Amino acid sequence: MRNADRLCLAHFWVAFSAFLAACVLGAWQMWVRSPLGAHIGTPGQYFMSVTAHGVSMAYVLTTFFIMGFGYFVAVTALNRPLPGLLWAWVAFWMAIAGVVLVVIPIGMGQATVLFTFYPPLTASVWFYIGLVMVVVASWIWCGLMFVAMWEWKRANPGKPVPLAMFGTVANALMWLWTTIGVAAELLFQVIPAALGLVQTIDVGLARTLFSWTLHAIVYFWLIPAYIAFYTIVPRAAGGRLYSDTMGRVTFILFLVYSLPVGMHHLLMDPEHGNGTKFIQTLLTAFVSIPTLLTIFTISASLEIAGRLRGGRGLFGWIGALPWERPTVLATGLGFVMLGFGGFGGLINMGYGMNAMVHNTSWVTAHFHLIFGGSVVIMYFAIAYEVWPRLTGRDHLSLGLLRLQLWLWFIGMVVMTFPWHWLGLQGQWRRVANFNYADPIIASWGPLVIVSFVGGLVLLASAFLFVRNLYVLHRAPSMAAIARPLYALAVHPPHRVPAALNGFGLWNVLVLVLMLSSFGYPIAQFLIAPSPGAMVHRVR
Amino acid sequence: MTDEPTPLEPHESDRPWRIWASFAIVGILAFGAFLGVIVIPIVQGRSAGIDAYTAICRALGILPGSPAIQQTPDRSPASPVSQVVWTPDVLQILADAKPERGRAKVLEVCSACHGEQGVSVSPDFPHLAGQSGAAIYKQLHDYKTGSRSHELMTNVAKGLDDATVADVAAYYAAQPKRNPNLSTLANAPTNIVQLVELGDPNRNVPPCAACHRPGSGGPIETPILSEQDTEYIVAQLKNYASGQRRNDVYGRMRVIAAKLTDAEKNGLAAYYRAGFH
Repeated sequence: MRNADRLCLAHFWVAFSAFLAACVLGAWQMWVRSPLGAHIGTPGQYFMSVTAHGVSMAYVLTTFFIMGFGYFVAVTALNRPLPGLLWAWVAFWMAIAGVVLVVIPIGMGQATVLFTFYPPLTASVWFYIGLVMVVVASWIWCGLMFVAMWEWKRANPGKPVPLAMFGTVANALMWLWTTIGVAAELLFQVIPAALGLVQTIDVGLARTLFSWTLHAIVYFWLIPAYIAFYTIVPRAAGGRLYSDTMGRVTFILFLVYSLPVGMHHLLMDPEHGNGTKFIQTLLTAFVSIPTLLTIFTISASLEIAGRLRGGRGLFGWIGALPWERPTVLATGLGFVMLGFGGFGGLINMGYGMNAMVHNTSWVTAHFHLIFGGSVVIMYFAIAYEVWPRLTGRDHLSLGLLRLQLWLWFIGMVVMTFPWHWLGLQGQWRRVANFNYADPIIASWGPLVIVSFVGGLVLLASAFLFVRNLYVLHRAPSMAAIARPLYALAVHPPHRVPAALNGFGLWNVLVLVLMLSSFGYPIAQFLIAPSPGAMVHRVR
Repeated sequence: MTDEPTPLEPHESDRPWRIWASFAIVGILAFGAFLGVIVIPIVQGRSAGIDAYTAICRALGILPGSPAIQQTPDRSPASPVSQVVWTPDVLQILADAKPERGRAKVLEVCSACHGEQGVSVSPDFPHLAGQSGAAIYKQLHDYKTGSRSHELMTNVAKGLDDATVADVAAYYAAQPKRNPNLSTLANAPTNIVQLVELGDPNRNVPPCAACHRPGSGGPIETPILSEQDTEYIVAQLKNYASGQRRNDVYGRMRVIAAKLTDAEKNGLAAYYRAGFH
C-alpha cells in the first residue's frame, strides 16, 4: 500500500471511529430524554455526552474525513503524487493530539459547553487548545491542497483543473475564510477567559464571531457530498455529468454565499440592527441557488444514465437506474433527505418563521436531517467507493451495503420527522431532560419514543457501516481496481475562463461581501463599549 | 493566488466573467442593503412613528433603540412594588401584636366596613375573619406607603403606626373562619378545579393552589382566599390584569390575571367563595 493511501485510510478510520462513538452517545441521549429513560443519568452527564457527541460529529468526523478525501482527490483526480506528504502526516498527528486534548477534559466532566461553546460557559482550557490544534492541522491541509492545484496548473497550463480538485480547493479556501471567526473568538475571548486572565466576556461579540463561522462550516462539511454528486455519482450510475461548468459555478457560489450569511443564526439576538440581519438573510436565500443547480444537474446526469440503460418515457429513466449500486442508492436517499431538510432550512431562514421555531427541536431536526442525513449518507457512499481503491480489495457483496444505507435513511426519517413536529409544539432543545409529569410535556412522550426508535435504527446502521468496512479489509487482495471513479462530462471542457479555473476574483468578492456584512456588526463592539447586558461574568 | 492568467487563456474570454460576476454579486448586495437599510425601515418606521433618519440608523444598529450604542444607565434608585420587607424586626412586631389592643382600634375605625368579627358589610370590602395576619399587615402597610391605593383605606392606614397595624392584623386573624358553604362546594366546574390545582402550562399559568392554600400559603404575605366574596375577588383580578393594582411582588398576580379570561375570573371567584374542598 502506498504511503498516500495509508494517509487517506488513517484519516478515514479516525473519522469513522469518532462517528461510531458519537452514534452510541447520541442514542443514549435520546434514551434518557425519552419517558423510557427519564430517571437515568444527571444533567451533568447529559451535557458531557452532548459535548462529546457534537465535537465528534462536527469536528472530528468531518475534519478528518474531509482532509482524507482531499488527499485522495489530489492524488487521483490530478494523477500526481501528493506534494508535502510529510506535512500531511504532521497535520494528521497534530490533529490527533488535538483530539486527545479535547477528549480528556470532556471525559473528566470539565468541558460541558457543547460544540458551539456558548460563553460565558467555559471549559477547561485544554478543550479549546485541542480544538485550535485540530483547526491549525486543517489549515496545513488547506495549504497542501493549494500547492497541489498550483503545481498541477503549472504543469498543465491552460487546462481546466479537474472538477473534483476544483471543488476541494474551493472548500479549503472557504474553510480558511470561515475559521477566522471561531479562531478569533477562541484566541481573544474564550481562551483568556478559560485561563482566568479576564473576568468578563462580551457574549454579543462572541456570538457574532461564531456566527461568522457557523454557517460556512456546515458547507465545509457538505461540499464533499457535492463533489461526489458531480464527479462520482454520474459514473456510478453509468452515465455522464450533464455540465462541468454547472459544477464549477456551484462550488464558486458556495464559496461566495456560504460566508456572509451566518447572522441568520442571530436573528433573535439583540446586538445587531435589523438592516444587517435583512442583508444577510437575503444573501442566505442565494445559498439555495447552488443546491438547486446541483439538484438539476445531477438529476439530468442521472437521466442520461437511465436513458442509456433503456429507460423510456417521462419517468421511466428513474426505474432504469442501477439502484443496486450503493452510490446511486445513497444519492437517491440523500436527495430525499436534502429535499425535506432544505425545505425546513428555508423556514429557518425567514425572520418571522424562525421566531416560531427558534431554539426548538425543529432546529435539531433540521441539522440532523441535512448533515446527518444527506451529507453523512454521501460520506458512506464515498467511503464505499474509495475504500476498495485504497486497499486493493473489493466488496464481496453489496447487499449489506444497501441495507446499511436504507437503515440510515429510515432511521434518520423516523428520528427527525417527530422532532420537527415536536419543535412546532414548542419542545425546547439543549435541555437534559423533560418533566413528563407535566400534562403538556407528557403528550410529547410518544413522539419522543418514536424518535428514539429512529435513533436505535441509526445506531444499528452505524455499526453495520463499520462492519462493512472491516469485512472489506478481510477480503482477498486484488491487483488493482480497474473501474474508473470520476465521471466524464457530456462535453468535457477543453478550456475554461480563468474565473472558472481559479479563485482570485472570487476571493476579492468574498472580501467585499464579508466587509459589508460583518464589518460594522463586529466593529461596533470595538467602537463603543457594549451595554452591560452583553457582558457576562465568566466565573 | 491561484488565479494566474496564462498565455493560452486570452484575457478577452475572462473579462466578461470578471465584470458580470462582480456586477451581479455587488448588485445583489446593494439591492439587499437598499431594501433592508432604507426601504423597509422607512416604511415600517412610518407606522411606528419613527422618522426616516432614525429608522435608518436603527436598522444599521448605530442609534439608541439598538444596543450597539451604550444606553444611558438609569441611576434612579430601584423602587420596589412594596416597602414591606420580612426582616426579623418586622416579624418581631407581628409576633408581639396584641389582639386585645387591636380590637379597640377595630371598633374605632375598621368595623364599620369590615365588621366586628371580620365579616364585611358589602362585597366591596373583603372579609377579614381568619385572614393571615401577615397578609393584612402587608396590605395595610402598602396602603400607608402608597404601594396600594384606595379612596378610604389610604387615609385610614396613614393614621396607623406599625405596631397598631400589627395589632389590628392579629385581631382579625384570630377571628374564627366561617364554615364552608357545603351546598356550593360540589359544583365547581372541572376546568376551574384544574386551574386551581394544576394551572395551565400551555399559557404558563401556575396553579393558584401553589400559593393560596387553606392555611399558610406560598410567600408569607399570600392571603387566604376562602370565603371571600365573588365580586371582591373578580374586582381584584381585574385590577391586577389592568395594572391598576400593582403591589404584588415580582408582578406575579399581574402576569397571571392578565392571562385569565373573564369566565375564568368569575369561575375562580365562585370557587373561592365556596371555600376549600
